[in-house]
Amino acid sequence: MLSPDEAADLIEAIAARQDRAAFANLFRHYAPRVKAFIMRGGTDAETAQEVAQEALIMVWRKAASFDRGRASVATWIYTIARNKRIDLARRAGRPAIETEDWLTVFAPEEADADKSVLAGQTYTRVKELLGGLSADQLVVIQKAFFEDKTHTAIAEELKLPLGTVKSRIRLALGRLREALEKEES
Amino acid sequence: MSHPAPEELLLDYAAGTLAPGPALAVSLHVALDPAARRMVEKLGALGGALMEGEGEAPFDEALLQSTLARLDGIAVESRPPPYVPRPGFEWVPEPLVRHLEDGMRWKRVFGGFEEMRISLPGEHRVSLLRLEPGRGLPMHRHVGEEFTVVLQGGYTDSTGNYGVGDFAVGPGPEQHEPIADPGEPCIALIVIEKPIVLTGPFGRFLNPLVRRGVI
Repeated sequence: MLSPDEAADLIEAIAARQDRAAFANLFRHYAPRVKAFIMRGGTDAETAQEVAQEALIMVWRKAASFDRGRASVATWIYTIARNKRIDLARRAGRPAIETEDWLTVFAPEEADADKSVLAGQTYTRVKELLGGLSADQLVVIQKAFFEDKTHTAIAEELKLPLGTVKSRIRLALGRLREALEKEES
Repeated sequence: MSHPAPEELLLDYAAGTLAPGPALAVSLHVALDPAARRMVEKLGALGGALMEGEGEAPFDEALLQSTLARLDGIAVESRPPPYVPRPGFEWVPEPLVRHLEDGMRWKRVFGGFEEMRISLPGEHRVSLLRLEPGRGLPMHRHVGEEFTVVLQGGYTDSTGNYGVGDFAVGPGPEQHEPIADPGEPCIALIVIEKPIVLTGPFGRFLNPLVRRGVI
């Protein structure tokens, strides 16, 4: 298992000295997880493996842009994997967005750098919170993140009124926000 | 009072499921509104935690070796310099820059406002609009979803006052008539799912042109 701090050290080692051993460690931990994440969206194993490989190569290229104060490694790699999934959708002929856009969301910004020290704790706390969500809430959140579905599509699939899906998402996000804001203040 | 984007929309954005037009609108709101940015960062952490907890798909060690071999030809890129807007384009947030092409100009549109069309894949019509203070958009109602993000100045309509970074979701079938606030011209990004329907006296004649994207 890789702790958030160990993972951040590995990325910084890549940025500082193109450390291939650090990359191999990250790869062993994250490539299988990215692959599992991509497969959850209905992608076959072989393609998902390629996407995971591409995502980890992006981690290598962009290592210097990683800022442990702004996001945990899991969060950062998640955003890269999500971008790759969007690329995949584009290759399949569906409309897609410019994937570099997503990286700017996590780009360092001086304006609210003071908020940033909590990134590591935020991630750990979010992980705990997930365990506290009801099954109903967890399923809509998982579908939104893993299965490339808007809340409208989720409502159709679960045969629930859109309002119910929205209120479950709101409840889950509300719990997330409350718990995190309590810690920040 | 500020107008944030609905949280479900931020979730769809963080999860990467929005179509290109709405995704651009949300990305500009996120760039301009620190609260939205913090929420999207939290949602990213949620995605990270979900991915981390998902478990591992089987992975061949040989793939690591072939990946390491590929790294020989791939440099670790240095951190990009912070974004500095071009003179005259101070209102352009970073995520919008790559969508502006050289030589793009404001085009005067019927009704006393100016437009710059942004070309994106997908079903939405994406435009920057510029209104001089006190000018309004023609009376219209929404057929599909409409998202607006204010980039400079502000405007007021029957639902309230909107300033830089504010996000408005098309209110559905009701009519509304936004008027630009005093001060700088109001510049906003507008993303429309389906053509709007003009409801003023000339609307009947103009709507066929709107539908064809002429105006």
